[in-house]
Amino acid sequence: MKAILVVLFASLSLLFSQEYHVSKADKNEVKFISDAPLEDFEGVTDKIDGYLYFENGDFTVNSQLYFEVDLKSLDTGIGLRNRHMRDNYLHTDKYPTTHFKGKIAEAEKTADSEFDVTVEGVIFIHGIERPLTVNGKLTTMDDRIQIQCRFEVKLSDFDIPIPQLMFMKINELMDLRLNFYLQRFDAKDE
Amino acid sequence: MKTAFIFVFIFSLLWTGLSAQEPAIRWKREEPKTKEQLHLFHSIHAVNLPTAETLKKSELEYEISHRFIPTVTADNAYFGIDGPANIRTALAYAITNHLMITVGRSNLQDNYDFRLKYQFYQLDNPAFPVLLAARAGLGWNTEVYESSGKLRDKTDSKNFQYYGQLIFNTMLWKKLGIGVVPSYLYNSHILCVDTEYSFTVGSYLQYYVSALWSVFFETNTTVTGFRRTYNPLTVGIELETGGHFFKIFLSNSQAMNPTQFLAGADLNVRDGDWRLGFNITRILKL
Repeated sequence: MKAILVVLFASLSLLFSQEYHVSKADKNEVKFISDAPLEDFEGVTDKIDGYLYFENGDFTVNSQLYFEVDLKSLDTGIGLRNRHMRDNYLHTDKYPTTHFKGKIAEAEKTADSEFDVTVEGVIFIHGIERPLTVNGKLTTMDDRIQIQCRFEVKLSDFDIPIPQLMFMKINELMDLRLNFYLQRFDAKDE
Repeated sequence: MKTAFIFVFIFSLLWTGLSAQEPAIRWKREEPKTKEQLHLFHSIHAVNLPTAETLKKSELEYEISHRFIPTVTADNAYFGIDGPANIRTALAYAITNHLMITVGRSNLQDNYDFRLKYQFYQLDNPAFPVLLAARAGLGWNTEVYESSGKLRDKTDSKNFQYYGQLIFNTMLWKKLGIGVVPSYLYNSHILCVDTEYSFTVGSYLQYYVSALWSVFFETNTTVTGFRRTYNPLTVGIELETGGHFFKIFLSNSQAMNPTQFLAGADLNVRDGDWRLGFNITRILKL
């Protein structure tokens, strides 16, 4: 009897939970923009992975999210600069990924399928974890969600030396912009 | 009634228990699969000899190089910088991540240099990484005065020189780059009646002191065939920053284009005869 009830309630829990995984088939973009004295430059990758979990159709109920980015895949457009970034600043042989783990703390519906959200959590970069709060926008579309957000990280907070271009140091605040898609995960996908 | 009560009680317990549990996340992490291309030397050139490095696909590299002809000890020549100087300018383009083409010109005999470099082997061994590449090219000398003083026709077959090179690179302790470059040069001496050739073995060491600075040594020894008086020797420093490489050095050679450099140098370093030179390159994206 008890076993039947456990299965029943576990099924109910699954029924009310929603889990979304990063959709690798979509055009995801993680970009950093650096303000340099001579020319701004940016690094881009589409190698983001992770999930968003919530219950009862409410982004804030039992919310959990985890996203990680493959830093070895960041492309600044110039091979030599990629090498400098990987070897001299991000040390990707030791820290190949960066990740953010947290929850959606607030969600406010602003249009039919759009929500302004506040995400709280911890970001891990270059071996160092720091608390981070990010404001972003979620757009729901059938069984997909688009996430857009923008925030800054200070390189010195993560023990990353400030890169130099032609002897001039670039701005130590990196502007990060993310635009990526999640696909609803069904148990049958397993 | 009693059964209903027990049912509700168990339901409440289970519901509370399930709600308090961490959600069972079904996402499974996969290790990122991005494979970095192996790079050993930072630049695609040592000084005159090539490294096995290539540019990234669609990248361009612009080069401007000088060899000041007066020696550093010459009178009233400010270490030779007062000139005159031999000047090379060149543009390289990467067709793929492993294949690149270069067109260059030096004012020494108005020599045009066309070449292809192909990187064909990578051994990503942490203790002994290896890159192998091959380079082939031709030099076209368009301003050649014969011993009689007559300007030779530009398209004279003796004005064309051809060369092939194998390039072996390794890097020890992520600091010390080592390169060996056997080369074959056809028609090494464009003024000889008989066609000359040269087989040389070039080598270079580059020690990376920091992310920006390195020091290097390069030589090219003629094993057999024609050689202008001496084997070329070059020592210098390299500064690398933001897609630029600045190499400043002392050398006994005044040549920069491969068909001229491979044929040997004109100064004897044992007499203290060195000349200043520099190479500046800038990587650009199309």
